[in-house]
Amino acid sequence: MKRYPSKRSVIVASLVASAVAMAIPTQPQMGAFHHVHVHALHGAVAAMAPAAIEPVEQRADTRPDAAQQPNPASKPTPRARDAGRQKLAPAKPPARPNKDAGKPKAKDAGKPKASSGSANAGQTKPNAASGTAPTTPKPSPPTVPGEQSNDQPAGPESWGYTRKTAKLRIRVIDGRTKEPIQGAEVVLIETEQRFKTDAQGYTPWFDAPVIRNPKYRPMVAELHGQLGAIAYKDGYRDSIHLGIRVHEGIRQQTTIWMYKLGPADRRIEPVLYQEPYHHLWLIQLADKFRSHSQPGEGPERP
Amino acid sequence: MTRLQRTVSIVCASSALAALAPLIPAPQVKAAQTIYNTSMPAVIRVAIRENNPSGEPDPRGRIMYVEAVPFTTYCEDVLPNEWFPSWHPEALKAGAMAVKMFAWYHHLHPVTIDGFTFDVDNTTNFQHFQEMSSQPTTNAAFQAIQKLAYTKPNGEIVELNYSAGYENDPNWQYRNAQKMAQWGSEYWARRGQTYLQILQFYYQNRALMRLP
Repeated sequence: MKRYPSKRSVIVASLVASAVAMAIPTQPQMGAFHHVHVHALHGAVAAMAPAAIEPVEQRADTRPDAAQQPNPASKPTPRARDAGRQKLAPAKPPARPNKDAGKPKAKDAGKPKASSGSANAGQTKPNAASGTAPTTPKPSPPTVPGEQSNDQPAGPESWGYTRKTAKLRIRVIDGRTKEPIQGAEVVLIETEQRFKTDAQGYTPWFDAPVIRNPKYRPMVAELHGQLGAIAYKDGYRDSIHLGIRVHEGIRQQTTIWMYKLGPADRRIEPVLYQEPYHHLWLIQLADKFRSHSQPGEGPERP
Repeated sequence: MTRLQRTVSIVCASSALAALAPLIPAPQVKAAQTIYNTSMPAVIRVAIRENNPSGEPDPRGRIMYVEAVPFTTYCEDVLPNEWFPSWHPEALKAGAMAVKMFAWYHHLHPVTIDGFTFDVDNTTNFQHFQEMSSQPTTNAAFQAIQKLAYTKPNGEIVELNYSAGYENDPNWQYRNAQKMAQWGSEYWARRGQTYLQILQFYYQNRALMRLP
């Protein structure tokens, strides 16, 4: 009587076992999803992506020196950088989180650098705390994707991203009926440019200056410029539209609402609409001057 | 026990149960609201609050009226007021998804305040809505995610909450709170993250779904 299984039966059994093992799905949830894209994205990580993913502006970069950049392995990955920062960052928000708010990266693209003396003049600093220390040896400053050069748009032009200048167009509508007004004259106050609206109520696209209020510059620079425009149209009240938000590098539009003159209108004066500041900037502004003794609503937190 | 006694006892018991019935909560069948049993709203009811003296909608102001706004228009008129239109396309796409899912969730959970029933109002109580304020870059971000939704893995629609956060910072504390930091989305997008990776960073246990 054989006390042990034969060699053949051992081989057969092991083959069957390995086939069974291979048939077990490693990701059991996969069967639950029927959509192909979900299938592809499943397990796509709750973690961060490798540094190899290039941002849009780098992909668009076709300059020869772009190909000569150091390989991703040699420069610190976002994950590694963040790990370092994470150690430094306290659990609660930093005391002065807006230290470098005066230099928003996206806005810096279009304006001349005042402090261009440093070697890294072409790049904004990722963090004021680390960037201000010239003693920190950085033999090869990492090319942070967000720090684009001046002539690179932040995104595809088909999406409305442009180079350097801000493109603006203004739409004029009837404030009551919300119908476009054709033939209205729009004057940009800052440049004294004049435009006529077309059948859709739009002026043509034009280059608009990005003017930030210099009185805020030493504290928290405005994150967008502001412009003013006046719309004139026979039979309508004049409409003054102030505070039109303008960002470098994108196409923008705004709407001026005009109100028809009626027989009951005795005192006819212009209508003013003041576009508010973006509330993200207002949050920064309020945080900037918050004291510990009177914290008010407290610092920005989740 | 005779048949009569048995019948009487059964009748008594059933009448006692019938008397107790109003006290016992009725079993409720609550199906989760998913992308499979609800459709994307066509219209959203926006409560317009009174402006403060400087002309801004006041979060504590009186509700003047409720306006029905096409859902897509609503989302397009929110995003430029919540995110900066000059931000990176991936940050805008992440923002567009958050704005859309936030509005969708609140469309499914309307509220009644001061006699007005509405889904959202036009202030930062919900999302900052300003009529006709859409911008080309933010509209393009919406187009890019139009057919997608970011939900629980079973398709359940949840509120994707977000808040400003700090500039030039990954905003880890917002991840802990399961909120997206608006500045954080820009931070990660500038570092090459896609909108899906940004969403996955701030919201855990969620999945990107194609709308049926």
